[in-house]
Amino acid sequence: MDLEEIKKEAEKEIKTVKDIRDLENWRIKYLGRKSDLSLFFDNLKKLSLEQRKKEAQKCQATRLFLTELFKAKEKNFPTRQIKKEYFDISQPGTKKEIGHLHPISSVLKEIVGVFQNLGFEIVEGPEIETEYYNFDALRIPENHPARDMWDTLWIKPAERNQKERLLLRTHTSPMQIRYMEKHEPPFRIIVPGKTFRHEATDTSHEIQFHQVEGLMVSEVVSFSNFKFIIEEFLKAIFKDDILIRFRPSYFPFVTPGVEVDIKINSKGNRDKWLEIMGAGMVHPDLYKTVGYRNKNLQGFAFGLGVERIAMIKYKISDIRLFASSDIRFLRQF
Amino acid sequence: MLRFSYNLLKKNLEFKESPEKLAELLTMHLAETKVNYYQKRPILEIDLLPNRVSDCSGHFGLLKEIAAILGKNFTFPVVKVKENKQMPMVKDWVEVKIEDISCRRYEMKAIWWLKVKESPSWLKRILKECGLRPINNVVDAVNYTMLLTGQPLHVFDFQKVAFNNKKPPKKEIIIRLARKRERILTLDNRFYDLKDNQLLITDSEKILALAGIKGGKFAEVDKETKMVLIESANFSPEIIRKTSQELNLKTDASYRFEHNLSRDLTDYSLDLATNLIQKLAGGRILRGKIDKEIVKSPRKEIFISFNAFNNFAGFKISQKLIKRNLSLLGFNFKQKKNGILVLISSLRTDIFVKEDVIGEVLRLIGFNSILSKPPKAELIFKKEDEKWLIRNKLKDIIKSFNLYETYNYSFVSKNEVESILNNRKNCIIEVLNPVSELFAFLRPTFALNFLKNIKDNSRFEDKFGLFEINNIYFKENNNLKEELVFAGVIFAAKEKNLLFEAKGIIESTFSRLKIENGKYSFKNFSKNNKYSAILEKGGEIILEKEKIGVVGYFKNELLKKYDIDGQVAFWEIKVQSLKKFILKDVVFSPLLKYPLIKRDLSLIVKEDVSIAKVISTIKSLPLKYLKEIDLFDVYTGENIGKEEKSLAFHLTFYSLKKTLTSEEVDREMEKIIRKLKTINAVIR
Repeated sequence: MDLEEIKKEAEKEIKTVKDIRDLENWRIKYLGRKSDLSLFFDNLKKLSLEQRKKEAQKCQATRLFLTELFKAKEKNFPTRQIKKEYFDISQPGTKKEIGHLHPISSVLKEIVGVFQNLGFEIVEGPEIETEYYNFDALRIPENHPARDMWDTLWIKPAERNQKERLLLRTHTSPMQIRYMEKHEPPFRIIVPGKTFRHEATDTSHEIQFHQVEGLMVSEVVSFSNFKFIIEEFLKAIFKDDILIRFRPSYFPFVTPGVEVDIKINSKGNRDKWLEIMGAGMVHPDLYKTVGYRNKNLQGFAFGLGVERIAMIKYKISDIRLFASSDIRFLRQF
Repeated sequence: MLRFSYNLLKKNLEFKESPEKLAELLTMHLAETKVNYYQKRPILEIDLLPNRVSDCSGHFGLLKEIAAILGKNFTFPVVKVKENKQMPMVKDWVEVKIEDISCRRYEMKAIWWLKVKESPSWLKRILKECGLRPINNVVDAVNYTMLLTGQPLHVFDFQKVAFNNKKPPKKEIIIRLARKRERILTLDNRFYDLKDNQLLITDSEKILALAGIKGGKFAEVDKETKMVLIESANFSPEIIRKTSQELNLKTDASYRFEHNLSRDLTDYSLDLATNLIQKLAGGRILRGKIDKEIVKSPRKEIFISFNAFNNFAGFKISQKLIKRNLSLLGFNFKQKKNGILVLISSLRTDIFVKEDVIGEVLRLIGFNSILSKPPKAELIFKKEDEKWLIRNKLKDIIKSFNLYETYNYSFVSKNEVESILNNRKNCIIEVLNPVSELFAFLRPTFALNFLKNIKDNSRFEDKFGLFEINNIYFKENNNLKEELVFAGVIFAAKEKNLLFEAKGIIESTFSRLKIENGKYSFKNFSKNNKYSAILEKGGEIILEKEKIGVVGYFKNELLKKYDIDGQVAFWEIKVQSLKKFILKDVVFSPLLKYPLIKRDLSLIVKEDVSIAKVISTIKSLPLKYLKEIDLFDVYTGENIGKEEKSLAFHLTFYSLKKTLTSEEVDREMEKIIRKLKTINAVIR
């Protein structure tokens, strides 16, 4: 068979090709390594240099012709099935360890963020406090039963004749006095911070925990304003999914005193009210104590437990986990 | 928590509310209330707030409150004492002397020829319902009176009280402060040693009672008692509380007195109790009573404008509603121009200022049903608190490292302080009344917290790091200080060289804060540093000449003490010293226009030549183009001499004005190499 015959036959046969498999067979027959054409190429070696040139040209032309035929036909079929390398997307990604912030940090930031949106200023105060700021200035004198509400950890005096007794603050409320001593109303502040109690610990009691104190004073801040701010705050933190109630309470530095409870609308907590903060309208004696002359001041104050909020938010059942530094706990946040 | 009998309440006021409904109403208007049952009889357990114990600790007081909540009226039932006209006057037989003003009012009546026996079952049941133990008809009668009015009373055996020396002799009751080394034997047969500021009821010979707290054994009413003296008195809350705390003796009476009972309760309660004793034990009531009131209870009037009501509440409260609520609460008032003059009920010793009164009106409306309204407030722009800002900005950086943030106890144990920090013991702040020895001191360093944390966590993890930004506490020149620090620790059971991981974290943090390389340095510990008991192989961090912290390995002996198997690197840095860098904005530097040229430099130096020395030697040259020196390898061991180390640096050259040629860089390299020979470095 000479090259022309090959061409003719190939041309004839390719017309009968119906699918990709036929085409592949055609390719093997006419262009494959054992095709007739390849025999011609093999023969080239045996020829003289001059003949080889001539014949080689012919061979190349034939191969080109056949390749064109193949390519033209190939277009009739959808892309040829090529066997792909197996790719497993289910293989896990490379582990990238990142740091973990403590849940108290996150909740504190969230709480403070909400109040910042409402225009509250952030201030902080000392953890080691004087008896005056922690108690007396807040109308909690030494021989008053109200002191029983704050079991206190006292600091051993540094000097024998130390004038004032020192303690670990039992609440963030001392900052109400400290701030008012240096600032004139109107203002609105929050005080995030660590507080301490002399307490037997259990799943809901700790010797140290965090509070956020709030204080808003002007000539017009009313009880209904107080309710508004607290409701907005709680809705923001608990994503609207709660019921809120306000009921009487007592703290010597406010009047009237108010306790705020919430009830979560989810399955686990149905029908259970949870105390979330103590609050009330600022007692006018405090304005006198810090030396305000304006007699028309009114405002509200509140103190909320950060651990309490974190426990409700993240469904943590034991308050002692916060200070445990247990990685199995910390890792989850 | 006080217990109230639902049935007793119902007997004295008509209402339909079930115990549960009543509890809910009380919770929302007075104080948290739960329903419990005593032998199937409903009991209200009320967590009375400290300001309302004075007027609500008795059933009648509570009924006043319940009636007000329900919009009804309740008045204390009228009592008429059945005195016996043939009997003598009390004052002819008894004399009362008040020697201290902390006894504010003292009243007495007497009954003769009565019979002490067991109380009837209805009385015993009600006492038990309310948590009291029945004793005999006379004592039970005064306790029952306390349950009704809230006023604690006491009965003495008339015949056991001594006569005085006057003529005619009288039974003498003296209310006085205790003297040194006096002691009392109380009804429960216990001795108490008294202090000189404690108030006593005595006769001319003996101590009869601890005023307002507990009766004494001497004048006890027992089965043989025929004649009794009934005491109804009012004491200052401060002295009762102080004494009760000093003796660690809390009673139903002391609880009520320390909450400042009204002085107007004594008279009514005395009459009620006298009648009841006579009814239960028979006998004849002596005529008249003794009533000594040293300090008259103040008459309180407060003028409040109607505007004040509205401003405080934040909405308009009608005058009608104000007056209605005040009447329900038992306050009288006079209408004035633009306002109202409120006469505070003498039973309400907790009301002092107009806000108290307005609060009461709102309380009766129900805090919960008051509308909430957005405040009208000034736009105030205030700077964020620096401490808060610094702490949080720092955390934003640190959280990107693979560390867990902790919130450890501020307390450390006595044992830790004594065995580990003994050399600094007098700088450490001690808690006067710690919860336990484990929490006896305030931490002077996070090292102690972290050691414990590592011990606890190393069971679960081979390698981890912790950090905390919180206060440490210490004494400095007798001043107590709290200082915010950024502390951290890296633990690994098997890996080594953790110190450089720790340093890496510190350096990356500094670099993120744009604290340039040259501004800070690490110096080996000086001899007497504060951390010498804890750390070894490490150093102080110096920032702009100030020692701002330390980084180092925990001593091996310490790890042994805590049973830690591995290596631990620790650091602690004062946050205040980083303040100005944290608060500063980043300053953008223009992007580089010309290519950087990098060269590597490998050299061998003696082991004791510090890397800082090598770098400073290079930096001492006046080089035009060298921008960065980066150490990338330190090697000791085979192929180099003993007591030698091999260092490898990347050097980066750059010009702001042109593309550097190879020759220009070569010239600088030559200078560097020449200079390094002065510290005997061998270039490889």
